[in-house]
Amino acid sequence: MKEPVIHRVLLVGDTTLDLLARMLEQSAELPTVEAFAAPYGQVYQTLLNPAHPVWAEKPDCLVVWTAPHLTLPSVEKLLRFDFPSAAAAYEAALADVDQFADSVLQAAPRVGLVIIPTWILPAHERWIQTLGWRQGLGPAHLVAKANLRLAERFASQQNIVLLDSQFWQISLGRSAYDLRMYAVAKILYSNALLARAAGEIKSILRGSLGQTRKVVVCDLDNTLWGGVVGDDGPENLKLGAPDPVGECYQAFQSALKALRLRGILLAIASKNDEQLALKVIDEHPAMVLRKSDFVAWRINWKDKAANLVEIAQELNLGLDSFLFLDDSPQERDRIRKALPEVDVPELPASPSEYGPFLTALSCFETPSLEKEDFERTHFYQAERDRSQTRDVASDFESWLRSLQIEVHATPLCRESVPRATQLLNKTNQFNLSLRRMDEKSFWEWAQQPSHAAYTFHVSDRFGDFGLVGLTSFNVRGSEARIVDFVMSCRVMGKQVEDALLGYTMKRARTRGAAKVLAEPVDGPRNGPAKQFFAGKFSNSAQTLLDPDRVIIPDQISIKEG
Amino acid sequence: MAAKELMMELIAILSEIRPGKDFVRADNFFEEGVLDSLDLTALVSALESCYGVFVDVDEMVPENFRSLAAIEKFLAGKGVGA
Repeated sequence: MKEPVIHRVLLVGDTTLDLLARMLEQSAELPTVEAFAAPYGQVYQTLLNPAHPVWAEKPDCLVVWTAPHLTLPSVEKLLRFDFPSAAAAYEAALADVDQFADSVLQAAPRVGLVIIPTWILPAHERWIQTLGWRQGLGPAHLVAKANLRLAERFASQQNIVLLDSQFWQISLGRSAYDLRMYAVAKILYSNALLARAAGEIKSILRGSLGQTRKVVVCDLDNTLWGGVVGDDGPENLKLGAPDPVGECYQAFQSALKALRLRGILLAIASKNDEQLALKVIDEHPAMVLRKSDFVAWRINWKDKAANLVEIAQELNLGLDSFLFLDDSPQERDRIRKALPEVDVPELPASPSEYGPFLTALSCFETPSLEKEDFERTHFYQAERDRSQTRDVASDFESWLRSLQIEVHATPLCRESVPRATQLLNKTNQFNLSLRRMDEKSFWEWAQQPSHAAYTFHVSDRFGDFGLVGLTSFNVRGSEARIVDFVMSCRVMGKQVEDALLGYTMKRARTRGAAKVLAEPVDGPRNGPAKQFFAGKFSNSAQTLLDPDRVIIPDQISIKEG
Repeated sequence: MAAKELMMELIAILSEIRPGKDFVRADNFFEEGVLDSLDLTALVSALESCYGVFVDVDEMVPENFRSLAAIEKFLAGKGVGA
């Protein structure tokens, strides 16, 4: 994955969370964090008082983890039947929820990211099951309503994540809680639960930084279907009903398809006869995934590590964004050893567990889902069509001209912040400064009067690339400095970067800048950006852009607004 | 289980909780700052999952876990290593 980023995480709770802080710090999972817990039981004091000593630690992430029966006194009363009327307890509880939400909203601007695990009743609270969900009476109903209220109150807050704690608490059931530890040290949750919470918090942080997997490369035989197509023949593969094993493989394909639809790319690396395998993919009646669901494949008898490297080159993506799924322990071992940056999980032994295994993975976390995510596979397919026309075009210039590229430049706006931040955090290659920021911090930065940020939407005659460029600069007197210059690898090699730089320079000049500077950072993988800028500097200074070398290519048209 | 083997396992468990500390020489982890009360809860949890024992709330006191010898004695009382 990418270079580790240090996060400072403040934990606030109504129980002792120091152990969670320690787990977050000791976990080998990225990002590396420094974590510290506020004294337990001081939720409101900490949230409402910016002068509370914990804020001196300058956290950039705040986790507020409370238990409903501790933080909402009326929930406890309802659970214990200690109320004059259930309706009154209910009303009071909802007022408590609002007070809690107000406090979180007050504290939220002090950090980049706030994580609030949702409320859940302890697994040992059976109460009266018949009435638990009765409106106006049942604690289960009340806690659900309280969570919904929080979701409503935080709906417009870009930096507050309401984290579904039920997802990780439910898997441990009664052993999620350790009442001995509560008696001894006011630790409500078991070590196992705290470890899961730490894992989930880390995955949210990775998602907010774009440190996620983008491509799933799958094997075929005994991975996407049961059996070996070359030996058993397409008609004897286990795939789909009524064969129960076939149903499992089909369910696994459905899980992969869901990933594909939300923007994760699918590819194939299989030792097989290509024609035969593709025939199964396109013609087998029970296949969920078809050829059009995959952006690349290497179906041959070559080494799979070499095939993965080729796929990465074809897609212009780093191997550190790859996840590799193969039923063969030998192949998994081969990839782990040859390409350690690829994530190679152990597939479960039974195909019935393939689907649940995939849907439980936390490596695809994302802070937002944008239009570009839903259309990603099409972008890559259009790119394949483009490459094919390049192969027949007589020269590069006339091929570029034939693409009819259009760039639509727009000042950064609230609506484009999620996608712009996604681009900023996920782009490794064409990235000038490798600055990683969360949505809120980036928006605030861009709002400064001396700062400017632009987003670029690119399309050509084959289709729409979506929002694939982001540039920003600051102006000081007659000097502008380009702070971010980020472009998706999807549009590399089409001189779009020239158009983006030309446009950005033009904007900087209209803001009164006589000189425009850029300083590429020396990152591990931003070679394309470094090389591009190296050709744009004046001979006298390696940070000063030479206007004679920054030219918007005439075959690219730029629209504004 | 041989006493030496158990000792090595305990050192491994403790090192996971507090890396790089000298557990062999310490007479009292808690008084000498090798472990704190938070570590005690992590230690109990680790011992429970490693040896399948149950540590009751009245047993969760520093005396039972203050040194390697104390932990060994405590576990022996639960039938571990005996």
